[in-house]
Amino acid sequence: MNWTLTLWRLASFAVAAGLIALWQLIANLKLASPVFLPGPDRAWAALMRGFSNGTLLEKTIGTLEHMFYGWLVASVVGIALGAMIGSSRAMRSYVAPSLEFLRPLPVSAIIPVAIALFGLTQGMALFVIAFGAIWPMLLATVHGFGAVEPRLYEVARSLHMSRLAVIFKIALPSASPDIISGMRLSLTVSLILAVVCEILAGLDGLGHWVLLSARAFRSPDLFAGVILLGAIGYVTALAMSLVEQRLLRWRTSGH
Amino acid sequence: MTSIALRKDTPSAQLEKSQIAFSHVTLDLGGKTIIENVSLDVKPGEFLCIIGASGCGKTTALRLAAGLYQPTSGNVSFDGEPMRAPRRDVAIVFQDYGKALLPWRTAAGNVALALETIGMPKAQRPARIDELLKKVGLPHHAAKYPAEMSGGMQQRLQIARCLAQEPKALLMDEPFGALDAMTRQGLQDEVLSLLDASKATVIFVTHDLEEAIYLGDRVVGLLPHPGRIGIDLKINLPRPRDQLTTRENPEFLRLRRELFDFIKASEA
Ligand SMILES: Nc1ncnc2c1ncn2[C@@H]1O[C@H](COP(=O)(O)OP(=O)(O)O)[C@@H](O)[C@H]1O
Ligand SMILES: [Mg+2]
Repeated sequence: MNWTLTLWRLASFAVAAGLIALWQLIANLKLASPVFLPGPDRAWAALMRGFSNGTLLEKTIGTLEHMFYGWLVASVVGIALGAMIGSSRAMRSYVAPSLEFLRPLPVSAIIPVAIALFGLTQGMALFVIAFGAIWPMLLATVHGFGAVEPRLYEVARSLHMSRLAVIFKIALPSASPDIISGMRLSLTVSLILAVVCEILAGLDGLGHWVLLSARAFRSPDLFAGVILLGAIGYVTALAMSLVEQRLLRWRTSGH
Repeated sequence: MTSIALRKDTPSAQLEKSQIAFSHVTLDLGGKTIIENVSLDVKPGEFLCIIGASGCGKTTALRLAAGLYQPTSGNVSFDGEPMRAPRRDVAIVFQDYGKALLPWRTAAGNVALALETIGMPKAQRPARIDELLKKVGLPHHAAKYPAEMSGGMQQRLQIARCLAQEPKALLMDEPFGALDAMTRQGLQDEVLSLLDASKATVIFVTHDLEEAIYLGDRVVGLLPHPGRIGIDLKINLPRPRDQLTTRENPEFLRLRRELFDFIKASEA
């Protein structure tokens, strides 16, 4: 079991290394203009340079902040709203369908509205990111509350548990697998929207950095930014699945 | 003369109040009459078993006693008060133990749920949890999640949580129906000794006639379509009961025969 896992790890490293080698080869052979496609060596150098003078670190923190605050607001509001809608059967049947209608609205449609409301500000970014990232959590919470084992509600009735206790001790934990996978999905959405907002509003972050580098034909810097964005996506998703594993230990512990 | 007349009306003989009382209870569900005109008195501390063919309304009757259903006509009362909703001092042991436990809480956490709700101070809970888990034979499983426990252990855990409610009455719906014979017999004896200590009133639903006779002070048999009382037998077997001698007692065999004939006739 462990052995095959190690083998798979090695294989995926090999694939990654192969792709980087291929990229280097294409760059060396000048199959694409070096103005647009720097090799991994030059991208790496740009990355190192950016970090040693502090600019890239600053941009990375900027993007992480936009992403994280938006995601946090989306999580809190999404779960609270979802709990409100989900804990009443009537609300579930009346409100849930209109949520399903709103959800597929592309977030890009809301951006002009947000800009009109907030201007090109941090507030606009927060609103757009939170709005875009709220759906998976909101719907997962509503759905999770609706799927609670009815027997547990009877246990709660027999114990005379308060409405709040039922929400926090029964409905939320029962819905937590749905909610956490919603949160993981939202994390990716938040990253994408953070970049979009930085580009649109010129907010300090990797999105803006990538845009400026592209405009100035500084392709190694552009690639350094893209690499960092990829790394952020990867690391946050990894962290989230570790948290998930830990929180949902009760689920996987079979015998 | 006078003394004899008085004797007849002594409170203890005539007025031993029923704890759970059904009075002409009828219940319709989905346009169908499921329980019809059931009257039943269960005395404090009595162990009443309900038997009957599958689908005859045993679970429904138990849910009426629990306050989970309200009768369409007639009434259900507990200690003389109408049963309008479930009560904290009436604990329900559900048949599907797997669904009645919180899978995200350990055994200790599941028992704690009841203690939290009855408002026991946090500092007193661990000792009480230990005591309850020990009582039901799970002293070394406090940290286990339900998914890590066998069916018998999960049912024990549900019983522990119900005992944590400090119930005056315990309503059990085929609690051992899904367990193998050995586990079932062990749990029967455990339940008897637990109740010996707590003196709670019990309504115990089962489709196992021998289980009903073995456990009960009284066995009520339901007739199906709609559910009505068809037989009401007093079980005069000595206590403590014993898996071997009680089951070999001629009275046990006679009762078993009588209930067997009842079930057969009810299915005809
Ligand atoms: N909520 C309900 N709505 C309609 N019919 C029901 C409902 N619950 C139970 N019944 C019917 O009532 C009858 C008795 O059910 P139940 O009390 O579960 O029987 P038992 O526990 O004796 O097997 C069955 O015929 C069942 O189909
Ligand atoms: Mg049943």
